[in-house]
Amino acid sequence: MKNSIGLYIHIPFCLRKCRYCDFLSSPADREGRKAYVDALCEEMKNRGPEAGPVDTVFIGGGTPSVLEEDLILELGKAVRGSFDLSSCQEYSIEANPGTLTEEKIRAFREIGVNRVSLGVQSFNDRLLRTLGRIHSAEEARRSVQMLRKGGIDNINLDLMFALPGQSLEDWEETLEEALALEPEHLSFYALIIEEGTPFYEDLRSGRIRVTDDETDREMYHRGLALMEKAGCRQYEISNASKPGRESRHNLKYWTMQDYLGCGLGAHSYLEGIRSSNTEEMKEYLRPGGKTVWVHPNSEKDTREEAIFTGLRLVEGVSKVRFFDKTGRRLEEVYRAEIDRVREQGLLEETPTHIRLTKKGMDLANTVMSEFIEVE
Amino acid sequence: MSYKDYIRNFSIIAHIDHGKSTLADRILERTGLVAERDMKEQILDNMDIERERGITIKLQTRRVVYHAKDGNEYIFNLIDTPGHVDFTYEVSRSLAACEGALLIVDATQGVEAQTMANAYLAANEDLEIMPVINKIDLPSADPQMAIEEVEEMLAIEAADAPLVSAKEGIGIDEMLEAVVERIPAPEGDEDAPLKALIFDSVYDNYKGVIIYTRIMDGRVKKGDMIRLMATGKVYEVTEVGILAPGFVPFKELKAGEVGYLTASIKQVADARVGDTITLQENPTPEPLPGYRQVQSMVYCGIYPAGNEKYEAVKDALEKLQVNDAAFVFEPETSQALGFGFRGGFLGLLHMEIIVERLEREFNLSIITTSPSVIYRITKTDGTVEMVQNPSNLPPSVEIAKMEEPMVKANIMIPNEYVGSIMEICQDRRGRMQHMEYINENRVVLEYIMPLNEVIYDFFDALKSKTRGYGSLDYEFVGYEPSKLVKLDVLLNKELVDAFSMIVHESKAYQRGRFVCEKLKEVIPMHQFEVPIQASVGSKVIARETVRAYRKDVLAKCYGGDITRKKKLLEKQKEGKKRMRQFGSVEVPQEAFTAVLKYDEK
Repeated sequence: MKNSIGLYIHIPFCLRKCRYCDFLSSPADREGRKAYVDALCEEMKNRGPEAGPVDTVFIGGGTPSVLEEDLILELGKAVRGSFDLSSCQEYSIEANPGTLTEEKIRAFREIGVNRVSLGVQSFNDRLLRTLGRIHSAEEARRSVQMLRKGGIDNINLDLMFALPGQSLEDWEETLEEALALEPEHLSFYALIIEEGTPFYEDLRSGRIRVTDDETDREMYHRGLALMEKAGCRQYEISNASKPGRESRHNLKYWTMQDYLGCGLGAHSYLEGIRSSNTEEMKEYLRPGGKTVWVHPNSEKDTREEAIFTGLRLVEGVSKVRFFDKTGRRLEEVYRAEIDRVREQGLLEETPTHIRLTKKGMDLANTVMSEFIEVE
Repeated sequence: MSYKDYIRNFSIIAHIDHGKSTLADRILERTGLVAERDMKEQILDNMDIERERGITIKLQTRRVVYHAKDGNEYIFNLIDTPGHVDFTYEVSRSLAACEGALLIVDATQGVEAQTMANAYLAANEDLEIMPVINKIDLPSADPQMAIEEVEEMLAIEAADAPLVSAKEGIGIDEMLEAVVERIPAPEGDEDAPLKALIFDSVYDNYKGVIIYTRIMDGRVKKGDMIRLMATGKVYEVTEVGILAPGFVPFKELKAGEVGYLTASIKQVADARVGDTITLQENPTPEPLPGYRQVQSMVYCGIYPAGNEKYEAVKDALEKLQVNDAAFVFEPETSQALGFGFRGGFLGLLHMEIIVERLEREFNLSIITTSPSVIYRITKTDGTVEMVQNPSNLPPSVEIAKMEEPMVKANIMIPNEYVGSIMEICQDRRGRMQHMEYINENRVVLEYIMPLNEVIYDFFDALKSKTRGYGSLDYEFVGYEPSKLVKLDVLLNKELVDAFSMIVHESKAYQRGRFVCEKLKEVIPMHQFEVPIQASVGSKVIARETVRAYRKDVLAKCYGGDITRKKKLLEKQKEGKKRMRQFGSVEVPQEAFTAVLKYDEK
């Protein structure tokens, strides 16, 4: 019998590209969306028979909620028709408050969605405009109410901090507003200004400034404390949830479990092989295989990935799981590396795990790169 | 008529970028034995570095056949010369192999510092100097100006100078005819005892050292026992031939001819440029004049960086030395850098070339330390020490007198820059000897300057201040007493000996501050604050601090795409690998060169 897998489905559309966004996403018309969903359904139909039972589904983007009801239903039908969802526990979809309607929520429910991740980012309208978001704080609040009313009892809010022009107080206000809505899950990402985005140009021309590290970290740790107080406990560098409401799907990424990605540019990790689909829409829409990159992990790949994905978790990298995935003992393979970062106060070792310290969370790349071996 | 009447031995000399290599290409094209399809862009230059810098470092000599208008075939031996101040001696020996020189002058630029320097070298060898005005096709060309400058500044008759465009191929035939008419045929007695000049040598894996030679008197052939008069070593000739191009074996070489010979010589240092070859059995009584042992003027430490192996660096240095008699090295150790070498060079350019070759041809990862010159230290007990490594400077209480090498620098600049150049010369402790207006636009400044100021960043400063129009030529003139101190750099309170340098007392503060500022720019943030200090003795004279970093976490969820994250981490790790650990501080390799670069303020 095949292992259970997570299924990721990519919807590369949005109404308008946000100023910080470097994800694979762009606006499209109805015709473009329809053609894409058709191709996506074909891909799932082709790959479904080879796949094991699906226990988590995540429809991400982009903005999956830009899809009209009929396309959501078409997609949902294809998911059920192509995969074994009998053991599915978590079925998430991402939504943008500016695109959510009661009809769409009904469609979500109809296809089996039981968790919605809402891209709120901020409850400050000035900052929402800076980010180039299409919605207001009020719309975000209304969306949460709408979801609750529509029967969604597992809601994540995506938030961002370290935004240009955002004060510590601004961030605290946003968090308090978010927590007042009693979400089951919170994701909170520090803004990363990526090359090629409008923000990058704004930064270069001096129109915006990056938040200094001190403020950034103050926001982060202050935010964690507020969430903790409200019963949302951090379980990953950028994620917190009420007990038992951790994202099962995302946990797969961080514990090296199998997942299949369908859609434009989607990545898969199945039985030790990483692969990805084409990022070219034209190519994707052509009938036939979509995979353009296949990479069977070497033992070194798996070792290093297990470390840098696992270290994102508060509980850290499990020694048992590491041995199970690589056949080697973590504390032996990486003795020198562990000691080096431990001495710097960035890592803790327990009999069962290695994990980042509080300071290590701030300097996660320093710790992770320590375990990477380059030529 | 003798065979010698149909030989013309000459060099092309010019200021950098005046078109020497392009003109050489044209000559090869218009003469025999070089096929069109063999033409590379610049057939005389065969090293990558030369091409990129637009200069010729290693000599490439060619023998070509020219069908003159008089109906005769003439053999032209075109003897290439290196084009930079560091190689003056090599240039002079190449010129000694010739009867004439084509002095190329850019019609848009006129006479430049190296035009003059090269013309003087040629005059010293009693060569027939034939000016050639190049680049006449350019809109800004002013051949008359160039001719006048040659006549006024160099006192060389230039009214009949061929006007050419090497690039466009204009005037080349006329110039070649002029070579036949004006450059004297070689003299010499082919029946006298052998007397031949070594003007270059290269190393070949199969043949050993290949000597480029000009036969002055006598003859030489395979099987002859020869003696190199400076080293006294005796070898059996295994092959003689001409350079046509490539090595074409001949039966013998005789007076007036230029060619090569091999004799199972192991390294180029044994076949020294300027040495005289004679026969063991029937030697010439007197060697040729002008032989000089090359002397290193600039030194620097060369250390394996990162995971580079000491043995790999040693191997490469040995290979380079086999081909470059002017380059010397010896092992040394640095507290900061571990085991490495101290290299000696003719000058700063020579050093840069060697370093680049190590990195590029041998693919080595190396760290070089601040270049240094040799100081003459007289100790209180009367002994004299030559010190080039700052770490070897005796404690100040043991020093009675310190002297530093001085050079005479000829600087040629457009007159609007006189003020700013005099300023940078003064700033570098130069003493003006002489200033001459060549014409209403251009000035030659003659300065006596400490060599350590010249090698530091003077050339970059000159180029920068004159927008590239300034040119420089310098020669060593001797030692002078000087007040020098050792400037140390401390990172996180620990001395890093690789950054130490010997500077003039008056410059210590300025240099110290500059080094601290530069290091602050290139040393990455650490998890703790890193103080950077410059000190003389125990006194800290400058200080900067690298702030501590608080965050480098970049969390993002790419729907399962971990490849980007991995690349990022790999990049971070690679960056770290290029770092050198000094105590708890990591220093990137650029730091060692960054502190040497000219900084326009």
